[in-house]
Amino acid sequence: MKKEKMEKMVAPFLAILVFATVFSGCISEKPQETPKEMEEKKEPILIGGSLPLTGKFADTAVWIKRGYEYWAEEINAKGGLLGRPVKLIIYDDESDKTKAANYLEKAITVDKVDLLLGGYPGTACTAQMPIAEKYKMVYNSMGGHMYSFEQGYKYCFGGPPLMGQWWADGFWGFIGTLPADQRPKKAAILTMNNVIGEACRESIVNGCKKYGIEIVVDDRYDLPLADATPLVSKAKESGADVLFANGFFADGVLTMRACKSLDYNPKAIFQSIGCIIPEWISELGEDGNYVFSGTAMHNKLPFEGIDKLNKVAQERWGIDAPQYFLFGYCWMQVLQKGVEGAGSLDQDAIANYLRTHTISTIGGDFKFDERGLPEPYMYCTQVINGEVELIYPLNVRTAEPVYPKPEWKKK
Amino acid sequence: MISQGLIIQSLISGILMGGIYAAMGVGFSLTWGVMKVINLSHCAFGVVSAYIGYWLLKNFGVDPLLSLIVIVPMLFVIGAGVYELLIKRIQHSKDITVSSMLLCFGLGILIENLMLYAWSASPRVMNTRYTGESFFVGGISLSIPSVIGFILAMSCLAAIYFFLHKTYTGKAVQAVWQEREGSALVGINIDRVSMITFGLAIASAGVGGVCMAFMYSFYPSLHNVWLLFMFLVVIVGGVGSVVGTAAGGLILGIVMGLSGALISYQWVNAIVFVLLIIILLIKPQGLFKV
Repeated sequence: MKKEKMEKMVAPFLAILVFATVFSGCISEKPQETPKEMEEKKEPILIGGSLPLTGKFADTAVWIKRGYEYWAEEINAKGGLLGRPVKLIIYDDESDKTKAANYLEKAITVDKVDLLLGGYPGTACTAQMPIAEKYKMVYNSMGGHMYSFEQGYKYCFGGPPLMGQWWADGFWGFIGTLPADQRPKKAAILTMNNVIGEACRESIVNGCKKYGIEIVVDDRYDLPLADATPLVSKAKESGADVLFANGFFADGVLTMRACKSLDYNPKAIFQSIGCIIPEWISELGEDGNYVFSGTAMHNKLPFEGIDKLNKVAQERWGIDAPQYFLFGYCWMQVLQKGVEGAGSLDQDAIANYLRTHTISTIGGDFKFDERGLPEPYMYCTQVINGEVELIYPLNVRTAEPVYPKPEWKKK
Repeated sequence: MISQGLIIQSLISGILMGGIYAAMGVGFSLTWGVMKVINLSHCAFGVVSAYIGYWLLKNFGVDPLLSLIVIVPMLFVIGAGVYELLIKRIQHSKDITVSSMLLCFGLGILIENLMLYAWSASPRVMNTRYTGESFFVGGISLSIPSVIGFILAMSCLAAIYFFLHKTYTGKAVQAVWQEREGSALVGINIDRVSMITFGLAIASAGVGGVCMAFMYSFYPSLHNVWLLFMFLVVIVGGVGSVVGTAAGGLILGIVMGLSGALISYQWVNAIVFVLLIIILLIKPQGLFKV
């Protein structure tokens, strides 16, 4: 009897419970908003990713972040992207590529961003590109050199890329303008032992072969470089008249100081990375002069938008737009053009638009191939009297190159 | 064919570099030896010192050597304060070494973030009127900043050695080191001695930081890189030994210099660590015993 009574009580109780659950579900669930409705409500478009805001790459990343932020500020002032404001979510990956990959995945899966930001440096991008590909989201960045663009990715673009395999091409273009008897004859190549160093070394070695320059020193070093003196001593002893300091800012500083200390005066010094950021001049002073490098972007290029960005940088920081500020802006500009061209946030539509149209940006016109790369290009720069000048191609030259490099000024 | 000039040049450069590493490492060795505290924030204080020297140079034109008049006492007081507020409280923990590593690791991160806030992540370069200058002796170049850094480093090591062996307080430090409980029994104030040791260690990190800044560009997170070299110097030389730390630094510098001259530079780190393993297998307590 008792059991029957219990059963009788349970049934209505369960019915009430089910009814309450269904009823609350019906009233609490928001109806799905359509993109049009979201636009009308001005929900921001979330653009997420990571940058090395601390750690060894922070000095460059801070400028990329400023480029991203200024782009966002500018587009929001003009009414937004597809009529909606944009909001950036930038995580600090602490110069750790594993964290960079994790943060990108977090931005996609947790923050549910609509678009992705490119990372920095190339190792972080290499780690992030497969994540973007996995979630079928467009990812425009500097890339991780040629290897990263040969993986068959459909959603990854380098607009523009920082391609180590093209890095010294501008410098070699300049060398090609010199009479043969003035070109260097022997090269010393000092390469940091990582993927960036190896990528840049390819373009250095290819150029040496092209111009018949003998490679008399070809040494690698692990980061951090403790002492450049043995390396530079080898270069000096071997009679190398062009030095390729194929490293970062910190190694470059050590190398320049060792060159001056040893009174080593090659015809030219090429510093792969680090000598086009403002700190090279502000911190090294005169000793940073006459160093060549390569870049895919410059604040004196004759493309639309560069002058405006120079004005912005002058107003905010008292300097012309640094390269990585321009890179950051340009990477966002490519993404913007893809979204506007596609007319939606559909990633396939954006990728398809980018691949089938010429994209005009502050960095020039890009026509992406099936790998997501534009036609190979690289500018040659030289630091002259504290300014990073464009040397090659000749149609963008902003100053006469100083070659051969003057001897070190001793006090 | 490797020339004699190249070998000597690399050797001299390595010795100068090694001496500077020794100055940076002596305080690290002291706290480890005397207090069993592995101060993972040691090099962070060194970077702070580099930034202070840089700031005084950039804004007031004060030479980094003169800036030590301010830096050394300031860091001594800070070190003593860190001991009183933090280290003293873990002295009686079950495993002081592990506790100190965790505590000081956190302190190092805190200091790094304070530096980031104060000075940003941009790299800095100490650019004095003698930066990049050198003089030649028999065809061998001697970089003036490196020579100054080396002399400063050796002076610091000598001062600490003199303090430990010729002063009453220094002898008390050694007594605590060798026999902690016995020292307490004879009336030595362990806390006071430990505080002085820690303050001295941080002050020496200040000297080391300025010496390192003569050679290297620096930024807030660089202390993690310097710490690796400190471990090498101290383990090779012998924990707690001033002479051992000096020898450890010089050996490290010589090995790196000669390796760079004789073989491909990419093997330098491998050789250094193989040497470390060999030394530890033969003399696990390091080359010099306290």
